[in-house]
Amino acid sequence: MSLVTAAQALLNGLLMGMIYVIVVLGLDLIVRGTRIINFAHGQVYMLGAYSFYFAYAIWHLNFWLALVVGAVAAMILGALSYIGIFSFVQRRFIAGGTMSFRLLTSAMSSVGLMMILQQGTLIAFGTGEMGIYSPFPQFIALGAVRLPAERLVAFGIGLLTCLGLYLFMFKTKLGKATRAVCFNAEVSALQGINTSQVYLLSFVVGCGLAGIAGGIAATIFSVTPTMGTHIIFMAMLVLVAGGLQTYKGIIVGGIILGQFLSFGYQLFGGLSYLYSFCLVFLIIVFRPGGLFGEVYD
Amino acid sequence: MRSMTKWRIPLSKPRLIALSVIGVALAILPLVVESPYILHLAIMALIYAALGMTFSMLFSTGLISLGCAAFYAVGAYTSALLVMKLGLSFWLALPLATMITGVIALGIGSVIVRYPGAPFVLVTLVLAVVTQQTAGQVELFGGWGGIMDIPSPSIGALQFTGKIPYYYLLLFLFGMIVLVFQALYSSRIGRAWKSIQLSDPLAKAVGINAYRYRVSAFTIASSAAGLMGSFYAHYFQTITPDITGGWVSIYIQLYAVLGGIGFYILGPALGASIMVFVPEFLRLVEEFEPVVTGILLIVLIVFFPGGILGTLQKRPRFRLANLSDRIRKIRRWISTGAL
Repeated sequence: MSLVTAAQALLNGLLMGMIYVIVVLGLDLIVRGTRIINFAHGQVYMLGAYSFYFAYAIWHLNFWLALVVGAVAAMILGALSYIGIFSFVQRRFIAGGTMSFRLLTSAMSSVGLMMILQQGTLIAFGTGEMGIYSPFPQFIALGAVRLPAERLVAFGIGLLTCLGLYLFMFKTKLGKATRAVCFNAEVSALQGINTSQVYLLSFVVGCGLAGIAGGIAATIFSVTPTMGTHIIFMAMLVLVAGGLQTYKGIIVGGIILGQFLSFGYQLFGGLSYLYSFCLVFLIIVFRPGGLFGEVYD
Repeated sequence: MRSMTKWRIPLSKPRLIALSVIGVALAILPLVVESPYILHLAIMALIYAALGMTFSMLFSTGLISLGCAAFYAVGAYTSALLVMKLGLSFWLALPLATMITGVIALGIGSVIVRYPGAPFVLVTLVLAVVTQQTAGQVELFGGWGGIMDIPSPSIGALQFTGKIPYYYLLLFLFGMIVLVFQALYSSRIGRAWKSIQLSDPLAKAVGINAYRYRVSAFTIASSAAGLMGSFYAHYFQTITPDITGGWVSIYIQLYAVLGGIGFYILGPALGASIMVFVPEFLRLVEEFEPVVTGILLIVLIVFFPGGILGTLQKRPRFRLANLSDRIRKIRRWISTGAL
């Protein structure tokens, strides 16, 4: 592997890591806020990418407007699925039952949604790949390494999204309420926080993040019906490796796995999945709750 | 001192009768049904029922595994490779594959079982995908095309042909699994599992080593899945990475929950037989089948979380005494002019 390919792989890995980080931040917000493990998150990401594709390539909207369309479509999907399915699931949680039963309920309902969305996309759009013309075809040359401008823009959007989430969660009152509900829903309800609104909000924001990530991915890679299952697989690895309910862990885990997968494709080809699983396995052998997390029961 | 009571079957009479009826029906099925297609469906239903039981066993300790199919595939590939590369006989490969799957499950389980709850669910689903990818990528496992022409088993000069010998072999294996599982559930181990499921901290406080019991459940369940995989490899004679990919693990979960998650053995058996036979007879369009299944999953878990058996159990029994009571009540209403 020459130095130039290594540099390209590094850049690719950083970008893939950024996409993972945004998706996982959204997933983690949902898991924290509503205690639902949303397996359909990858499909939300995929539908965000499809909406971006339609807005940009078919309706010829502005690039930035198309990104917003993707995010809004994902948010609407999130709101619908929360109101239609997951609010009932949460009512089951409140009704009680053992921990394992709650997990089963949330896992099964979201897996059902995942199947519906995945197969629905296949039926509606077929198995073909769809790519868009690059919105920013320029290059920035750094010696022999060429940096495509679209990747830099995508990376910048990712950073801005993370910053926006940070500002929302830590600088606004609503974000504070969300964090309180994540910490303890009963006590925050006693403090006068409308928990059902916060549940809906965290679900919608989480799905919106997935939609933005889908838009970014659609600018760089092609849009396929399998992108959702791929991303949910990586998102779970990142979540387990970094530790549940830690921002630091998600960011570090996402970047590490992005790099690992990017270099893995160059070095081992298709087996890089297995190696990334082994990496995560090693991490949880030595750090039970993930890199920065603690063990929860 | 051991009690002098006679050995007795720990079952009430109606249950015993029902069980023996089911047993006899299963035993004479190939004699009644001529069509090999129906027999194939019956074989698949038995395999999936056993896989559903492995999911139920893990659930009985409070673990939710979306990777039951991973060990099914491990068993299938191990058995196929043992027979084809090392030239072992099927009768040796079957227990060996079961044991190897168990050892692999022990290694993986002793790490991932430490985090019951969400991390375990995530890791097991990833495990299923990784198994599929590995089987598809490695040359030894035949790549995405899988392994073909796996030899069929034979006893002496008698080669297994047709479905009937396979059916009886599977019925024997299935019966073994049911007996072993039932013995475990009704023993001290099974009670420890259930206590861990009900309350992990309480069980620990009573002195139950939750970690060890969970690892044991994971290992036993996975070896049973491996046994089924080994049988499947020699029955179908072709295995591809798809036996662990896609929705297989999710279907296994569906079998267990559809029948009734509180019924560790009957539930998966009922769920699997419904899910195998009903779509075949309805002739659903294959494209829409996952959509229907997804809707079924959601409706089932949100509105009927007890599954079929659990929902039936909750209903008050229909009794003749109730009926005569009701008739008397209606008569009284009529005679008093309330109607």
